Amino acid sequence: MLSLNARLILAASIVLALFFGLTGFTLDSAYTHSAETALKDRLQGRVNVLVAASELGEDGVARLTNALPEVRFFNPGSDLYAYFVGNNNRHAWRSPSLGSLDIRFPSGLARGETAYQKLKATDGTVLQIYSLGVTWDDSPGPRGGYTFSVAENVRNIQEQISGFRRILWGWLTAVAVILLAVQGSIMRWSLKPLRRVADDLAAIEHGKQTELQGRYPAELLPLTDNINALIRSSRELLERYRHSLGDLAHSLKTPLALLRGAVEGHKAADELLEIVPEQVDRMSRTVDYQLQRAAASGGSTLVAPINVAQVARKVAAALNKVYSDKAVICHLHVDEECEFHGDEGDLFEILGNLLDNAFKWCRHRVEVRAAMDSVSTGLTLSVEDDGPGISPDVAQEVRRRGVSIGGAESGHGIGLAIVDDIIRIYGGTLEVITGTLGGALMKVHLPNR
Amino acid sequence: MRALIIEDEAVLREQLVEQLEGAGYAIDAAADGDEGLYLGNEYPFDIAVVDLGLPKLSGIDVIKEWRKAGKSFPVLILTARGRWDEKVEGLEAGADDYVVKPFHAEELLARINALVRRAGGWAQPVLRCGPITLNTTTQEVEVDDHRVELTAYEFRTLQYLMLNAGKVVSKAELIEHLYQQDFDRDSNVIEVFIRRLRTKLDPDSCINPIETLRGSGYRLTLQRTPA
Repeated sequence: MLSLNARLILAASIVLALFFGLTGFTLDSAYTHSAETALKDRLQGRVNVLVAASELGEDGVARLTNALPEVRFFNPGSDLYAYFVGNNNRHAWRSPSLGSLDIRFPSGLARGETAYQKLKATDGTVLQIYSLGVTWDDSPGPRGGYTFSVAENVRNIQEQISGFRRILWGWLTAVAVILLAVQGSIMRWSLKPLRRVADDLAAIEHGKQTELQGRYPAELLPLTDNINALIRSSRELLERYRHSLGDLAHSLKTPLALLRGAVEGHKAADELLEIVPEQVDRMSRTVDYQLQRAAASGGSTLVAPINVAQVARKVAAALNKVYSDKAVICHLHVDEECEFHGDEGDLFEILGNLLDNAFKWCRHRVEVRAAMDSVSTGLTLSVEDDGPGISPDVAQEVRRRGVSIGGAESGHGIGLAIVDDIIRIYGGTLEVITGTLGGALMKVHLPNR
Repeated sequence: MRALIIEDEAVLREQLVEQLEGAGYAIDAAADGDEGLYLGNEYPFDIAVVDLGLPKLSGIDVIKEWRKAGKSFPVLILTARGRWDEKVEGLEAGADDYVVKPFHAEELLARINALVRRAGGWAQPVLRCGPITLNTTTQEVEVDDHRVELTAYEFRTLQYLMLNAGKVVSKAELIEHLYQQDFDRDSNVIEVFIRRLRTKLDPDSCINPIETLRGSGYRLTLQRTPA
C-alpha cells in the first residue's frame, strides 16, 4: 500500500509534468513558428532591396548599380547570400559572401513568381532561400527576365531556437522542482495531525497514555473521538469482565465449600441427595446470571441505532409461540421511530426478560409501550400484565439480590436482576410498580448517550 | 410417540435418550446437524429436541431446512447461553419452545409432552375421550375414574390414538411412531397391542373405543371431551 505522502507526491508530479510539458511544447512551437516567419519576412525584404539596387543595362544584362545596405553580402562566410541570374541562365551575379560555396539557386521564375525553399550546398551547408522572378519593361522577350534570390544559413535560426529551448526548459524544470518541494512541505504539514494520531496510538500501546490527547483538526475529530470512545468502552468492558469473573469465583466458592464439607463430613446418602442438587442448582443459577451480566455489551460506540419496534415484534412473536397454550393477548404500542442506541443483544435481553415475566404471570393480557422521551431525551419502555403483580419489597429484593432469590419458577427472578444490571450499565432506570391492569408494570428509561 | 434428539455432547445425549425412553418415547438420536437433518427428513417424528450449537450444521439451520421441506413436527431447542437474541432466532427459524441448559429432566419432559399434545390439538396435559382419561405427565390411564394398568407400548399406542382421536391411523403409521428406526417391524405386534387395549379399557365390550377399519387401520371412536 502506497503511503498517503507518496500518493500525493506522485499525483502532484504527474499533474506538474503534464502541465509543464504541454506549456513547454506550446511555447516551443509558437517560438519556432514566429522565428521562421520572421526569417521569411527578412529574406523577402532583402530580395526587394536587391531588386531595387539592380538595373538592366543597355546590353540587356542586369547589373548591381547601387550599393547594398547590408555589409554581410560582401563578407565571405557571413551566412547571408545574394544571387541573381537571367532566365537564359547567363549573366549571373553572385554576392561576394558566397565565396566558393557551390549551390544551385533557382532560376527561370516568371514575373512576380516567388519560391521559398531549403537547399543543401555540396559542402553540407543548408540554406533557406527566397527567390523572386523579375522583368524590366524594356527587357527583350519572355526569356529576358531575371530570378533574384537571397539566402541565409539555417544554422543561425536553429541556434536561436535551440538557445530559446534551453532557457525555456531550464526554467520550467526549475519551477517544477520548486513547486514539488513546496507541495511536499505543504503535505507534510497537512498530514502532521495523522502522524500525531499514529504517535498517540503507539504511546497508548506502550501504556504511556490512556487515550488520544491534544487537539485535532475538525476533519479528524470524528475519528479520534470514536477511537477514544472505543478505547474507553473496551476498558469498561474489561473492567466489567474482571468484576464478573471475580463475582463468579466468589459466589461459586460457597456452594463448593458446602459440597466439599458434605462429602468430607461423611454425610449419609440421603443427606447428600438433598445437599448436592440444591447446591448444583445454586451454582447453575449463579453461572447463568454472571454469564448474562458479563455478556451485556453496554456499548454504543459506532453502532447504528436499533429499531425497537422490530425487536419487540420478534420477541412477542417468539413468546406467543412458547405460551401458545395460554392464548395471551399481547398489544404492542411501539412507535416505529423508537430507537435504542446500544447493543441489539442488550435490547433483546431487556425486552425478552420483561416480556417473558409478563407472559408468565399475566392472566390474558400484556401491554408493551415504547416512546422516545422528548423531555429527558431517551427511550421509555413499559411492560405491563394483568397478573397478580409484584410487591415493591419483593421487587426491591429481587433487584438487589437477584441471583440468590431467582429460581426457574420463583417469579420475577434472575431475569429482572439481569435487566436491572443492563439498564444500569446504560445509565438508565427501572421502576417496578402496579399498573392499571392490576399486575406488574415495569417502566424502563434509557437515556441517550 | 417417536422423538428425535440431536445433541453433540455424548453424555448428555445418552441421558436424554434414557429419560425420554423412560417417559414412553421411541428415540432416534444424532450427534451432528447433518445426520439430524437427514433423520428428520426421512422419518415421521412427533417431536425433535435440537441443541443449537451442533457440529457440521447449526441447530438453527437444521430447523430452517426442515421447515423449508414442509416438516411440521414440533421442535424444542436446547440452548447453553440462554441469550434472548439466540432464543428468538431459534423460534423465528421454526422452533416451538426452548429450554436453557442445564435443565431439570422433569421440566424438559413437561415441555416435550406439552408440544406433542399441542401438535395434536390438545391444550391440556390430560387427554379425555369419553370415559377414558390419559394423563401425559403421570402416564396414568383411567376409565370411569378407575385406574387401568398398561404396559409402556400399550400406553404409547393409546396415547397416539387419543392424540389423533377421530382420525384413521394405519398400522404402518403406528409402527413408525411407536418404534425407533432400527426396530424389527412386525405388524402382528400392533394387532396384539390393540387387542390387549380393548380388553383392558373395555372388559365388558360396552364402549367399544377402538374401531378396526379393514385394510386401512384403526380409529378411536370416542369424542374428545373439552377440559
